[in-house]
Amino acid sequence: MESEEIQRKPYADREKENIFNGEFMPHINSMYNFAYRLTLDRDDSKDLVQDTYMKAYRFIDSFQQGTNAKAWLFRILKNSFINDYRKKSKEPSKVDYQEVESFYNSEEVDRQITPDLRVEALKDMIGDEISNALNSLDVDFRTVIILCDLEGFKYDEMAKILDIPIGTVRSRLHRARNLLKEKLSEYAKQMGYKTA
Amino acid sequence: MSNPDLSKMKQDCESQRECMEMLQMIIDGEATSEQKEHFLTNHLEQCMPCYKSYHLEVTIRQLLKTKCSKEAPQELVDSIKAKVIQNLAQ
Repeated sequence: MESEEIQRKPYADREKENIFNGEFMPHINSMYNFAYRLTLDRDDSKDLVQDTYMKAYRFIDSFQQGTNAKAWLFRILKNSFINDYRKKSKEPSKVDYQEVESFYNSEEVDRQITPDLRVEALKDMIGDEISNALNSLDVDFRTVIILCDLEGFKYDEMAKILDIPIGTVRSRLHRARNLLKEKLSEYAKQMGYKTA
Repeated sequence: MSNPDLSKMKQDCESQRECMEMLQMIIDGEATSEQKEHFLTNHLEQCMPCYKSYHLEVTIRQLLKTKCSKEAPQELVDSIKAKVIQNLAQ
């Protein structure tokens, strides 16, 4: 990426092709899934992934071989999403994130949303419940859950992908998971499970 | 984890928020082995709320992995590859 540009000899075409096919393309499913969870739209996610791969190709000389290609690609995708898609995204108008963050930071909320959700209830969620619950979260909360729980990024990698301090990664994750559980307990209640 | 005697576990956790954070760090693979060892043996097996939370967290992650992964459509893969080959040819 531009900000991380390193002084090195440009790759030859053959090397570019090898990096692209050997290190970038294997992450296509994860990239598509990430794009889909961000945009919540199939066409937008295809465009976003395609744009990201084209950017990755264009800036391939700033990719250091042997470093984490997946994290590098995810960061490009996240930036493209913010710059090009977030504005026109079909999501309802955004709540001010700081507001959300400080609200969920309070102890009071934390106590209140340690839901007594049961494993048995979760095991009965065989349809789209979990996917819908995830999609219902604010995009910033959704993002950390995808990066950590689905893609297995470490906190320090997430901090770099998202350009936020590691402490924020940790607290955002904590809150995101509480919100997800809250949503899942709503579903569990609807399914007739007693959660109280 | 061994199978703790559920009847002997305490029913309330006095430090649930801190425990939850530690628990998540352990599951995320971010805790040191000492932290992990300490928490699992000294706390988790004696504390019912944390024991339940642990299983809940693990189950949610498994569900997320099985229910929230979409594969990229083949046409997208083909289109990206074609564009790059075009670029290389220029």
